[in-house]
Amino acid sequence: MAETHSSPTSEVENIGLLGRFWRGRIWYGTEWYITTFGGLILLAIILMTVFAPWLAPFDPNQFIGAQFTPPGHGKQALLARAGEAPPVDLSDLSGQVIGVQRNRNGANLARELGAKGKRYQTQEDLLAALLDGEVDLIFVDQELAPEIVASYDGLEIVAEGLGRSYPLGTDNLGRDIVSRLIWGARTVLGVALTSALFSSIIGITLGLISGFVSGFLDRVLSLMMDSIYSFPGLLLAIAMVVMLGPGLLNVAVAVSVIYIPTFFRVVRGQVLSVKEELYVEAARSLGAKPLTILTRYIFPNVIPSVVVVFSLNVADAILTEAGLSFVGLGLPPDVPDWGYDLSKGQSFLVAGQWWLITFPGIMITLVAAGFSLLGEGLSEILNPRLVKG
Amino acid sequence: MMTNDVLYRIRDLVVEYHTRAGILTAVDHVSFDIRRGEVLGLVGESGCGKSTLGKALMRMIQEPGRIASGELWFDGMNLMQLPPGEMRKLRGSRISMIFQDPMTSLNPVQRVVDHITETIRVHQPQTSEKAARARAAELVDRLGISRNRLDDYPHQLSGGMRQRVMISLALALRADLVIADEATTSLDVIVEAQFLDLLKELREEFNLTILLITHNIGIVAELADRVAVMYAGRMAELAEVHELFERPDHPYTRGLLRAVPNIRLDDAELYKMPGSPPDLVSPPPGCRFHPRCPDVMDICTRQAPTFYENKPGHFVNCWLYQEREENVSLEEASS
Amino acid sequence: MSPALRRYIIVRVLLTIPMVLILVSLVFIVLRVLPGDPAVAILREGASEEQLASFRAALGLDKPLHVQYVEFLTGVLRFDFGYSMTRKVPVTREIKTFFPATVELALASMFVTAVVGIFSGAFAAQHRKSPADYAIRILSIILYSLPIFWLGLMLQMTFGTGLGWLPVSNRLSPGMAPKEVITGLYTIDAILTGDWALFKDAASHLVLPALTLGLVLAGIFTRLTRANMLDVLEQDFITAGRARGLRERVLVYKHGLRNAFIPIVTLLGLQFALLLAGAILTETTFSWPGMGRLVVDRIYDRDFTTVQGAILFFALLVAGISLVVDILYGFLDPRIRY
Repeated sequence: MAETHSSPTSEVENIGLLGRFWRGRIWYGTEWYITTFGGLILLAIILMTVFAPWLAPFDPNQFIGAQFTPPGHGKQALLARAGEAPPVDLSDLSGQVIGVQRNRNGANLARELGAKGKRYQTQEDLLAALLDGEVDLIFVDQELAPEIVASYDGLEIVAEGLGRSYPLGTDNLGRDIVSRLIWGARTVLGVALTSALFSSIIGITLGLISGFVSGFLDRVLSLMMDSIYSFPGLLLAIAMVVMLGPGLLNVAVAVSVIYIPTFFRVVRGQVLSVKEELYVEAARSLGAKPLTILTRYIFPNVIPSVVVVFSLNVADAILTEAGLSFVGLGLPPDVPDWGYDLSKGQSFLVAGQWWLITFPGIMITLVAAGFSLLGEGLSEILNPRLVKG
Repeated sequence: MMTNDVLYRIRDLVVEYHTRAGILTAVDHVSFDIRRGEVLGLVGESGCGKSTLGKALMRMIQEPGRIASGELWFDGMNLMQLPPGEMRKLRGSRISMIFQDPMTSLNPVQRVVDHITETIRVHQPQTSEKAARARAAELVDRLGISRNRLDDYPHQLSGGMRQRVMISLALALRADLVIADEATTSLDVIVEAQFLDLLKELREEFNLTILLITHNIGIVAELADRVAVMYAGRMAELAEVHELFERPDHPYTRGLLRAVPNIRLDDAELYKMPGSPPDLVSPPPGCRFHPRCPDVMDICTRQAPTFYENKPGHFVNCWLYQEREENVSLEEASS
Repeated sequence: MSPALRRYIIVRVLLTIPMVLILVSLVFIVLRVLPGDPAVAILREGASEEQLASFRAALGLDKPLHVQYVEFLTGVLRFDFGYSMTRKVPVTREIKTFFPATVELALASMFVTAVVGIFSGAFAAQHRKSPADYAIRILSIILYSLPIFWLGLMLQMTFGTGLGWLPVSNRLSPGMAPKEVITGLYTIDAILTGDWALFKDAASHLVLPALTLGLVLAGIFTRLTRANMLDVLEQDFITAGRARGLRERVLVYKHGLRNAFIPIVTLLGLQFALLLAGAILTETTFSWPGMGRLVVDRIYDRDFTTVQGAILFFALLVAGISLVVDILYGFLDPRIRY
């Protein structure tokens, strides 16, 4: 009896922070898993942004491959006329004359290897050149090689798996999508976090003052904030970006204005309720200065809600930033950005190049959902209003 | 109208709540009978489990709580075996409940009359809306609310009127047992007195059996035939009202009665019971009252006493009145 | 109408006045006061001094700010947003052309949102902490995290270009036109004139945009409904109803939802801003000729007056909607009605 009575607390005190966090799963149940899951997504993305230079295989702005390489494609096969393959050293193809097709990965590969690429407009031209003896070797996409060999007599595969592949393909300018996604995370998180920081600082300050001072100032500020809140945020951001001009900081400022009212409302509401608490009354009656009451007694109570709102707002800011980029008003074109990639990629959807927009969209959803899950989980954990017992 | 005929027999009822801190036993092996036609008062401090017990009698314990074990025999029916649908039909028709706060217990966006007709029609679907309305009118008439208030919304009524509406809902289908859970707590003194008078009248007229759950000993003294005292989830004592007030056996009951303000005892200082009720997640071992008990003995800290009929009709849960069987192992050993 | 309700409505109407004033001032600050010269912003760098000067003169931008502000306000009060700089028609006429499309999209989306959101939110609340509840909650978070335009593009890819079931842009197929424009909502006009071919065409164009916007907003609406339902289901009158033998279904969907609906309606008013913001993106994705398209397109056309007018119109619109929602609230809650 006595052991079970006292053990939970003493044990918790003896384990480390991580251990205590791990314990939390029992205490908070599913909410814990939601929060942790959201947190893990974000951790992965944040690591990605920090280590972008090492993680990204290529420069996000470099035209590294052929346009519209589908995901996983890019490797080349070397073909020759059957039985006539010239004795070549596969590890050194420089100096060879290799037939390539225009705007395909083979052309880039030949250039990189130092081979002399002879370019042909279409695949038919390329194959005809090989069969007519114009060239002795040609590059074709690895995925097409077996089919070509099967449908044209007298061809054989000399080598396969040459060059590199692009796990998520390349875009309309031949840029590697993986690299763009990794670098884009920096932009998106940078803008979203900066704007949330701006709006939280202004929103919290105004909220504290408004709730604490009350009276006329409170009424005016509340009405102003309500008005901004009721205005479609994206439209406000659009108007501001049009006026301020494109650029990372300008976008962050434009986005932050939208979210000031959210912080304001939450903080003000909290202040109003905390202000009535007995211990604040007691501090006041003991002669504590208003500023002391505000910073020592009221502000700490506001923090949990602010953490939740911050997380949810970052999620929203990411979507707004992407929306701005999508309507073409966000960032300069040389900044890798998911929203920008999406808006540029949409025109190629009809032609079947789905990978240009699919992956940036998934990334935006993932990051926004990560912040939302984190915020949602935290709000249940920090404000256990509905959890009984 | 009290008889010895048992209407509701409760045996070894255990209600548990699964909380983050552990399992909370809100009602722990409680056994007693409610006799047909009686008013049984159930008293105890707040948090002692009396309201939970009241809900358990209607099998209305919601997650994360549950009735862990025990038997509920209502009018010969084993309620624990009853399918949920049948149990639902019993609620409001044969067992009904009056709640503490009539303001929050009525749907704010539903008219008074709709509360009543809805209740009638859910149990008697063949009743037409019109007939149900006529019955509702008759009922509120009897309870002293004028018919033209029927189409009002709850917030338009006074506190006393709202409580009458609650009674009319409890009586709409002539329930055998009415459980009144702190039904007067939110009323002011004068309205409370009117309410008690009304309950007395209705008891005769409708031949009601009432379980009166309250922390107010005065109300029990005025209305109840028998009184049950609960402490920390367990029955402490149960006896006829005069017997209990004049010869309380359990030290807790004695303390409770001495703590009641009484205008006749002008000078005597009110008794203050030492300590506070235990945490029900990890209650003290043995008798749960022992840390506060003025008559604590060695055995009280180790073994729980049983709820025992000490004198005819007078049950008490205390070692002072029991053989001290040191070797008897009771369920307490497990906790 | 009871005196209390009348007083409530009058107060709300009066409260709308400062709100309109603040919103219009907000637009003024953004477009005129903030750093960034509209002339430069619109004509871009490299415009000649004369071009800039004539632009400023045409819009009165060369006058002192307080004069501009007064002119700005009086223009709004007279519902005069000036002339479009590229189309040479009054901006109000442009708005009149483009606004019905936005209304049609918004209403259809709201329908999707309400149906999906209320049902799944109430269901999740009823089965709190069940696997279904967690599934609905996580799904609603994911829905809300979807970039609207991306969901739109994905739907276009699947149901439009992929399966070929539904059109992916514009409000009508080429060659189709309403015989008579009554409301400007083509689906409604088609019903009013009994033109079923037109109705089918208009409705099929409406499906994907409405689904896109409606589903994303349903994510929020589900969460709102669930949270409010949980609040309501915790209340005593639900327990009291249960003690009277009412069915769980009746308790949740009749008593619970009716009460939860009151705060939901207020929140719906606030969500309207989200609906309009979402509509801008949806319209851009689906080439839907509504107000959002108007703004975005005219930014590219450097049609400052139209952009300014459209933004002002949005400001008046949200003020109007919040008034309507407040009045609706008054009718919904008997505690205000009497």
